[in-house]
Amino acid sequence: MSHTFNIYRHLISVNIRGQMQYRVSFLFDVLATALITALSFGSIALILQRFNNIAGWTVYELAFLFGMAETAFGTMDIIFSGFDPPYFGRRVRLGTFDQMLLRPVNLVVQVLGSQFILRRFGRIIQGSIILLISLTHLEIQWTAVKILMLPVVFISLVIFFGGLFIIGATLSFWTVESLEVVNIFTYGGTELMQYPMEIYPNLIRTFFTYILPAIFLLYYPTLYILDKPDPLGMPPFSPFLAPFVAVAVFIVAFAFWNYGLRFYQSTGS
Amino acid sequence: MQDIISVKELNKHFKIYKHHRGIMGPLRNLATRESTLVKAVDGINFVIQPGELVGYLGPNGAGKSTTLKMLTGLLVPTSGEIRVNNHIPWKSRTEYVAEIGAVFGQRSTLWWDLPVIESLDLLQHIYKIPEDRFQQNLGEFRELLELDPFLNTPVRALSLGQRMRADICAALLHDPKLLFLDEPTIGLDVVAKERIRRFIEHINQARGITVLLTTHDLSDVEKLCKRVMIIDHGKLLYDGKLDLLRERFGEKRQLIVDFVEEYEIISIEGAVIADREGSRITFHFSGQDITASELINKLSAQYRIRDLEVREPDIETTIRRIYEERLLE
Repeated sequence: MSHTFNIYRHLISVNIRGQMQYRVSFLFDVLATALITALSFGSIALILQRFNNIAGWTVYELAFLFGMAETAFGTMDIIFSGFDPPYFGRRVRLGTFDQMLLRPVNLVVQVLGSQFILRRFGRIIQGSIILLISLTHLEIQWTAVKILMLPVVFISLVIFFGGLFIIGATLSFWTVESLEVVNIFTYGGTELMQYPMEIYPNLIRTFFTYILPAIFLLYYPTLYILDKPDPLGMPPFSPFLAPFVAVAVFIVAFAFWNYGLRFYQSTGS
Repeated sequence: MQDIISVKELNKHFKIYKHHRGIMGPLRNLATRESTLVKAVDGINFVIQPGELVGYLGPNGAGKSTTLKMLTGLLVPTSGEIRVNNHIPWKSRTEYVAEIGAVFGQRSTLWWDLPVIESLDLLQHIYKIPEDRFQQNLGEFRELLELDPFLNTPVRALSLGQRMRADICAALLHDPKLLFLDEPTIGLDVVAKERIRRFIEHINQARGITVLLTTHDLSDVEKLCKRVMIIDHGKLLYDGKLDLLRERFGEKRQLIVDFVEEYEIISIEGAVIADREGSRITFHFSGQDITASELINKLSAQYRIRDLEVREPDIETTIRRIYEERLLE
């Protein structure tokens, strides 16, 4: 176990050193990612100036959703960048995944260690600034449960998005064509979670409640933390489901990954 | 001695799905799923003893790489049995791959952006190689493979020959009992090929590492392997000594001569005329009856020659012939 972690550390450090070879491009990337995040929140803020609120959510309440989703997705995107579906798909297509099968190290550790995109820090920094602004302006009635919920929700989001990345990466064992579909769930999922769920049509909400239960990861915990009423009438324990949903998605993702691996080893590429 | 590799009734069949073209193509692919069955490896049996150096030969697409991928655990067979070094390769992957070395000629196992030496250091951690053993091996391989000039160069900047040497070194640092090489000399020039062959021979003899190498270059096999296995269309056609193969099935050598004028009758003892095109005549001869120089001497003593060329039988033709004429069935 400690050996495996040691390998992971080595692989990551190799990766970071590789990225540092292109220092200028690295800085530009960080700036660009940060700018994109700023722009996308900026556009929400602009709309809010005209309308004051979206579905009864003030700008700082929305900033909480937005900042949390961005920070968590950014963190996940660094840790799980080896599983980023387009990146991993290329690895399978070029056959470099076979090299991993030839090394005596757990495959998930090797994939995690194969890519560690530091420039995504831009997204994390920007996201956490927005989150901080939101927290300082909102007058939250803090309780122990609410305080504890912040890290739990954050970690759950990271695990949840990580699971989606693994599922997306696994699909590339079958197909090289349709990986864009996966982006709907990963990138699309983050975008979607940045807004209050009640603004979406029934169909979409049902999907993200019962099929891919993203609604419990950020929306319900946020309702609880901000003491907002639940317009959807879900059971009262809904705000506390985030870690369970995240772990369940991750377990499903992992089982799917193992299944995909067996398929890959029986067909080659 | 116990077999280090044993392969019984090995099969690998692939379904190749038909691809439709056009905008609706992907949808039709999903809807119809028409497929044909390809028997990439079709009922192969063989055993290899520890310390052997075996050439696995066959034209492109014969099933060499598929066999090698199954032996290294990358692919799971459709049916049949493989035991290598007391492992079933795909079942105990991490334990198994720690005991073998593998180089797939076209793909590097090293980290693209890292200097060679850092890749090798990383492998020391991955394979948990004790420091003194690592230094000892590295020292020896650096010298034999002449790695020093490019040890600090990033892998992406290496020439094909340098990369192959670095890859072979990387595959051996952890003292594997077995080495699998897939086309180790493909695309290399004569000097580079020779250096790699000498090294393979060395580690086989000095360290007793069992080597199985695939190639479609006869000269690799001629210089290195006493034993060859020939595969075509997924079937093992021959497994035995190389000399025997040549004696039995070797093409005749060819001498193609452009004469200054057209001669009606040309007869040389030990050679037969196989083809005649104006003043160009192709002779077939066998090394046992007459040598190339004797033949040329005799011809040039009697006739005026403009140009000539000796063609050696190549393995592609021999294998083709063995297969087409069903010589081994």
